[in-house]
Amino acid sequence: MNQKQIKIVKYLALFLLAIFVIFTLFPIYWTFNTSFKTMGEVNNIPPTFIPKNPTVRPYVAIFGKKMATKAIMSSFIISVSSTILSVIIGSLAGYAFARWPNRAGGDNLSFWILSIRMFPPVAAVLPIFFIFNLFALTDTYISLIITYLIFNLPLAVWLMMMFFGDVPVELEQASYVDGYTPLRTFLKVTLPLVKPGLVSVTILCWIFSWNEFLFAYVLVGSRVKTFPLIFPALAVGSTNYWNQVCALAVLVIIPPIVLFIILRKYMVRGLSLGVVKG
Amino acid sequence: MGKKKDDLVVVKNSTPFLLVLPALVVLVSIVGYPMFWSLFYSLHNYNPIAGAAQFIGGGNYKWLWTLPRWYNSLRHLAYYLFVAVFAEMALAIALALILHEYIKNKTLQIILMVILIIPMMLAPSVVGILWRFIFSPFGGAINAIIEGLFHRPPINWLGEKYALTSVLIADIWEWTSLPLMIIFSGRMSLPESVYEAARVDGAKPGMILTRITIPMLKELIAIAFILRFIDCYKFIDKVTVMTAGGPGEASEVPSFLAYLIGIKQFNIGQATAMSWMIALGAVAVITLFMRFMKQVLAASKLH
Repeated sequence: MNQKQIKIVKYLALFLLAIFVIFTLFPIYWTFNTSFKTMGEVNNIPPTFIPKNPTVRPYVAIFGKKMATKAIMSSFIISVSSTILSVIIGSLAGYAFARWPNRAGGDNLSFWILSIRMFPPVAAVLPIFFIFNLFALTDTYISLIITYLIFNLPLAVWLMMMFFGDVPVELEQASYVDGYTPLRTFLKVTLPLVKPGLVSVTILCWIFSWNEFLFAYVLVGSRVKTFPLIFPALAVGSTNYWNQVCALAVLVIIPPIVLFIILRKYMVRGLSLGVVKG
Repeated sequence: MGKKKDDLVVVKNSTPFLLVLPALVVLVSIVGYPMFWSLFYSLHNYNPIAGAAQFIGGGNYKWLWTLPRWYNSLRHLAYYLFVAVFAEMALAIALALILHEYIKNKTLQIILMVILIIPMMLAPSVVGILWRFIFSPFGGAINAIIEGLFHRPPINWLGEKYALTSVLIADIWEWTSLPLMIIFSGRMSLPESVYEAARVDGAKPGMILTRITIPMLKELIAIAFILRFIDCYKFIDKVTVMTAGGPGEASEVPSFLAYLIGIKQFNIGQATAMSWMIALGAVAVITLFMRFMKQVLAASKLH
């Protein structure tokens, strides 16, 4: 290739990148755009690309809707509880797998746990629905808190195993030589060293449970509602309050995005199941 | 190397397993037991509304493989997997390398990464609803753009012909960044000295790409590919929210069909048989994934 061809390739490449960035940004921009429109303007054909009379009424309306605020609260309670459980149980197992792989059950067990993460949810959700029904557990917080462990716990075990594995064994050996007990070593030496890992696992588990739709759709819905459930409800019917739907979307996407920006480095590792060292 | 770590005898022999036990108990009771339950009822004719379960052996499985609707959903899935996964991987590889090669400004690189990651952080139901809105045949943004730029009549995106494709576009939008980030991080970690040596030897850019970059990233590309493949294979939420399998059966995929038959019609025997077929398909792919995973982890332990 001569210089001219190299330049052409470069511009084509940058053009592709630009197109994709626009493609990514457009729906997000459209959500913001619509969330500040009046209903009259939303129904305009053709739609307007900048709100003519920007208004915050859709946001006010969402905060005034008990369904929406209650759903956000429920989502919060469920996702936080499930995350705490996953991180505690997952850290214990992850530590054992990292330090004593053979005595903890071996590679096969840790890989089996990881494989659950990738299992089709529909295969689990059917039996779980009927089993929970038997115990009158459907439509409760606890049903979702438990069920979310299906995908959060494998993630927590596996990632904590990776993060604990990065801590040099020599540090722990030194602490044993100093007369620390295994528990004290774990709490005082190892745990502080995996703090970034712990934070990223917590956030990832939280985002997944915060966003989860299928299990919530099947297991709860009348008394207990999480926020992903009320979107279809808001957007169905004779009157589509798209401006309110978009306002709510803006509100619920802000927390995960902010957390992600802050913790970007560790999160990439988590999302790739630890393959990438970020 | 596992052996060496196990030699660190400071805890009782049983302690490591006791630490794993809580996780194991939870997973066996919320995954193992339900799967066993579902295997049991897949061999029965069972609808709790109609009455008690009746053992019918492989009847549900036989029924399934004669059902045109099932084959239809498999065809949709095949189309979805083929187009979505390949589009996402092709875009991800190209964009990751472009981002590394041509965007030298670190701040700009980070800003672009953050933008690309936003779709992944959204709830799938939000993604579904937003795209339904954008694809709306009347006053939807996409049709407005098509009309404005190309003066073409509006397209019924969520109609029979394009429903599945519309879901697919939403998927590409949501998930291309995951393989992109994996491959980008992999490219960042490749030693620059290899590239310098290649350049000194007068290697052409095309050769550097096909002889060095791609081969060195192949395990990561494989992992990203399988991650996307398995996610697309089991996906259900966007279909539920955007099209509900419709119009008619035009965008039905196996997972959604199993959900319909099980949760909506309470035909538990048939639905569990379906979900077992889906699960078995997943096991094959997951096994493959684990093989690559072991390779990558073994390689990363070497340095």
